Amino acid sequence: MMSRFSMLCGEVPALGWLLGILASVTAEYVIGEDLSNILGMDKAPVLFGVLMAFKEPLMIPNLLAYAFIIYVFPAVSTGILTRVPANRLAGRLDHLPVIISGLLHISFLYLIIHFWAGMNDYHLIVIKITMISVILTLSMNVINGYMGEFSCSHPGFMAIGAYTTSVMTLVLFTKSRFGAGPILPEAAGPFVFPIVLVIGGLLTSLAALIVAIPSFRTRGDYLAIISLAFTFMIKSIIENMEIIGGARGLGDQPDFSGLTAVFAWTVLCIWVVNNFVTSVPGKAMNAVRDNESAADAMTVNTRKTKITAFMFGAFWAGVAGGLLAHMLRYINPGTFGLQKLAEIFAMVYFGGLNSIYGSIVGAASISLLGEALRPLELYKWIVIPLLLIIVMIKRPTGLMAFMEFNMKKLLRPRDRGKEEGPVG
Amino acid sequence: MKRIFIILSLILVSAAAVSLNSCKARDKNVIRIGLNAPITGDIPKVGEGAKFAAQLWLEDIKKAGGIEVGGKKYPVELIIEDNETKAESAVKASTKLITQDDVMIIIGPFASKQAVPAGGVANNYKTPMVAPWSTNPDTTKNRPYVFRACFLDPFQGPVVANFIKDEFKFKKAAVLFDVASDYPKGLAEFFKLAWEKNNGPGSVVAYESFTTNDKDFSSQLTKIIKSGAQILFVPQYYNEVALIVKQAKELGWKGTIAGSDSWGSAETVKLCGSDCFGKFFSTHYAAAGAKGDTKEFIERYNKKYGYVPDDVSALTWDSLNITKKAIESTGGLTGDIKKDRTAVRDALAKIKKFKGITGEMTYTDSGDPQKCAVIVKINNKGEFEFYKSVCP
Repeated sequence: MMSRFSMLCGEVPALGWLLGILASVTAEYVIGEDLSNILGMDKAPVLFGVLMAFKEPLMIPNLLAYAFIIYVFPAVSTGILTRVPANRLAGRLDHLPVIISGLLHISFLYLIIHFWAGMNDYHLIVIKITMISVILTLSMNVINGYMGEFSCSHPGFMAIGAYTTSVMTLVLFTKSRFGAGPILPEAAGPFVFPIVLVIGGLLTSLAALIVAIPSFRTRGDYLAIISLAFTFMIKSIIENMEIIGGARGLGDQPDFSGLTAVFAWTVLCIWVVNNFVTSVPGKAMNAVRDNESAADAMTVNTRKTKITAFMFGAFWAGVAGGLLAHMLRYINPGTFGLQKLAEIFAMVYFGGLNSIYGSIVGAASISLLGEALRPLELYKWIVIPLLLIIVMIKRPTGLMAFMEFNMKKLLRPRDRGKEEGPVG
Repeated sequence: MKRIFIILSLILVSAAAVSLNSCKARDKNVIRIGLNAPITGDIPKVGEGAKFAAQLWLEDIKKAGGIEVGGKKYPVELIIEDNETKAESAVKASTKLITQDDVMIIIGPFASKQAVPAGGVANNYKTPMVAPWSTNPDTTKNRPYVFRACFLDPFQGPVVANFIKDEFKFKKAAVLFDVASDYPKGLAEFFKLAWEKNNGPGSVVAYESFTTNDKDFSSQLTKIIKSGAQILFVPQYYNEVALIVKQAKELGWKGTIAGSDSWGSAETVKLCGSDCFGKFFSTHYAAAGAKGDTKEFIERYNKKYGYVPDDVSALTWDSLNITKKAIESTGGLTGDIKKDRTAVRDALAKIKKFKGITGEMTYTDSGDPQKCAVIVKINNKGEFEFYKSVCP
């Protein structure tokens, strides 16, 4: 009976699961409030009820019941019930170019997130910060995971991205400290903001190039020190630049980092990074990591490879910084210090090196754990590092290291016997 | 499968049992107050001081049976959230307090790095917020729902400058400050402006800076001593104050040294020792020789937690009492949290001559209080002794 159940679950394709989760989100939307009242809760529990479980342990059975009725049951039953048509559809889509089926799945995913976050502003902010962390983790994974260098310059990159984009939007859209009045109406924001982010990212890459040229003469510890110095330099430079607020910080950015923008950039980042690391330069990066001399002997231009990877990672860190600045709507050089670095490191090494899945899992679990363990207050910082240590002992390269991300494989139909042909 | 069914039915049955037991919808008759404090991160001592003061305050409220509004007593629930001294986390904590916990008002965050973005959140949701300790003008600027409980640097800088002029009739001043930190830098600028207004341009004869975490100030101090300044103004935190004062003495500085409210921590004298005796600084309240409510607060805090509270605790205490007063003067709560929040905000903006333990406060339209500063002298026992009160 049990094995039949898990076999049934195994037959549900990604599309079916997405439908299932959509069903549970709909369930929460329709009956969530009523059900929580019936179960003696005054409000639908957030973050799957973890916060409440810590506060009122007596309510745990109610929370479990809520989670089962709202999340597990609709998701699993819809998944299993729709598995036949979903598989058929997935089979059809499998023959189309991967971009079409990918877009279809992504729009489903967006719908889910949109509904889930729309019900609750706390969910919204948690999910936005989590997605920005995903971009950051991915971009650091390119340098520290795929290329195998130990770089500590990410907070500096973020700061450059955050400040350059903020200055641009402040000049363009607001009557700001920089004198000029609004040049563009705020309605043009969604169209101009991506361009601003790209420019911010490119400027960050340029800064990365300036660090990369001298610092890639060194490796290992020395690179770590130089890149750390870079982070401090950027912080000091910003602190001493009165025009962008100095140590006081820069505020009042227009509110452009909505859910749609952050989601789109996260998806784009995953797609581009995945393509980059599976391309020829990406494989060259792995070769440089494993053995630089051997890679050099095999005609890989190691210097160029390293600099490309560094600049590529920096670009995405800059974009993440820009998104963060427009979400918080206030930035301060103190935000981009060692604390931030430690946070990104935790996400990268927890999730796993050299892996897209790992970056997503790492970023999501550290951000969500940080929120979910809130009621533990001080002890949170004992529990999370302890988890990190356990992961490091059990899986020294992180939870899901060295895993390839394959869209086609992920989305293929799952009914056994049929369509089992060669995949991806 | 059978086992799953058994487990599930067990869960459902116990859930039903619990909900029958504790069938309660969110009690509309409780006033919830959120505290957004840095319990972990860079400045945990600040979070601790705030938390302790808030718990002390809650004890009083519990003893009194709640806050009385419009003839009805409402019990108070205090919800403390940690913001990890991070801007993102402060925004998340405030959003959670407002949308999940339905708080009526938020106290905190404390450092400006968090108070500015969190103030934006509070203002967007039309929830009043009192930042006890944030001195950045942006925290309350153009935000009708955001208030603060401390005076601002544009006020404190001139207070010190004028005090020195009246007291010592000095003409030449030197300033030593951390250029990388928001608070000292702002204060140094305001002091310089006020001093030069009093004594003419060029009367600040040395304007020297360093960067956070510097430990050796001998080159700056040598310049300052050579410049012939009569007074050195050091708007720094306690750890740097101790270093600077000691090094200045070793290098042969003979003049006076004055500071700002950041000196007002118990640690200052502990680290600095007798070298700091006889120095002056401006602050929110003076612990030694305090009278009335201030004295009572200090004694109770000291008894319960084992040390003399510093200005963060005192300001948190005042913020909570202003909140209490504002809630009381709404004249009655409707039970609709959105309407009540706005009512509390309006009442807060109208508070006049509130007698807090850090002085008398009056709110005008801006969310920044008008209040007096206190000049404190560190006496020969190392206590912070009241010297003079300076009002705007």
